[in-house]
Amino acid sequence: MTDAAVLKSETQDIVVDEVFPHTPETIWKTLTNGDLMGRWIMPPTGFQPVEGTHFTFQTTPAGAWDGTIRCQVLEVRPHERFVYSWQGGHEGNTGYGSRLDTVVTWTLAKVDNGTRLRLVHSGFVTPKNDSAYKNMSEGWTKVLSRLGSVTDEQH
Amino acid sequence: MMIETAPITAVMRALADPTRRAVFERIANAEEITVVELTRGSGVTQGAISQHLKSLKQAGLVAERPEGRNVYYRAEPEGLAPLVDWMSHYGTFWRERFADLRTLLKEIDP
Repeated sequence: MTDAAVLKSETQDIVVDEVFPHTPETIWKTLTNGDLMGRWIMPPTGFQPVEGTHFTFQTTPAGAWDGTIRCQVLEVRPHERFVYSWQGGHEGNTGYGSRLDTVVTWTLAKVDNGTRLRLVHSGFVTPKNDSAYKNMSEGWTKVLSRLGSVTDEQH
Repeated sequence: MMIETAPITAVMRALADPTRRAVFERIANAEEITVVELTRGSGVTQGAISQHLKSLKQAGLVAERPEGRNVYYRAEPEGLAPLVDWMSHYGTFWRERFADLRTLLKEIDP
């Protein structure tokens, strides 16, 4: 087995998709109002829901990285779509705190009982098949069974 | 908070072998376990189990504690740290944020 086979890099997305019993207008506010963002994501600094605006989030530092997430608003389509870049980390780190150059895309769609909110956090550079490890923190047993299915595929 | 860990390849390689992974799962499910106990019902020899334990130890997944004539093995959850990366961090992060958003929406739009 060669390292190249295991560590072949590719980018992957995280997708969370849920229906909320609220209107797109209400959910839009929680996505694009700095005070409300601070109540469920993290308090942003310098945020304006205007394309081109640079803003930051402050999170846990790691190694040479001070924990600042640098963002730029890329697209604002009221009540429908909101996109910003999400960058941070440092070359010197591995795992948490490593170089991160990603994009967060929020999509809202009106449905019968409310709004479907879809988050796509894209651009993660990960070792091949790494997505199977993404729920590791949820539990030892679950992790191991997932690891099993991934590593079996490699044989 | 830099954590010194075995490289991700060592961990993945150690867990890629189905028998070795089964050994690791049994250790993880036990508080502490001896080679003899691990060998019992495993369908492989004690020598083979010892080899797997050696690989798991080198990958930082298992620690040993000698006591009298026995050696007890236990799982080292930190050994899996190299596999816990940005993707796993944000997978958990966003699911938790969605739960927080649901709570916030109930407050501001009951």
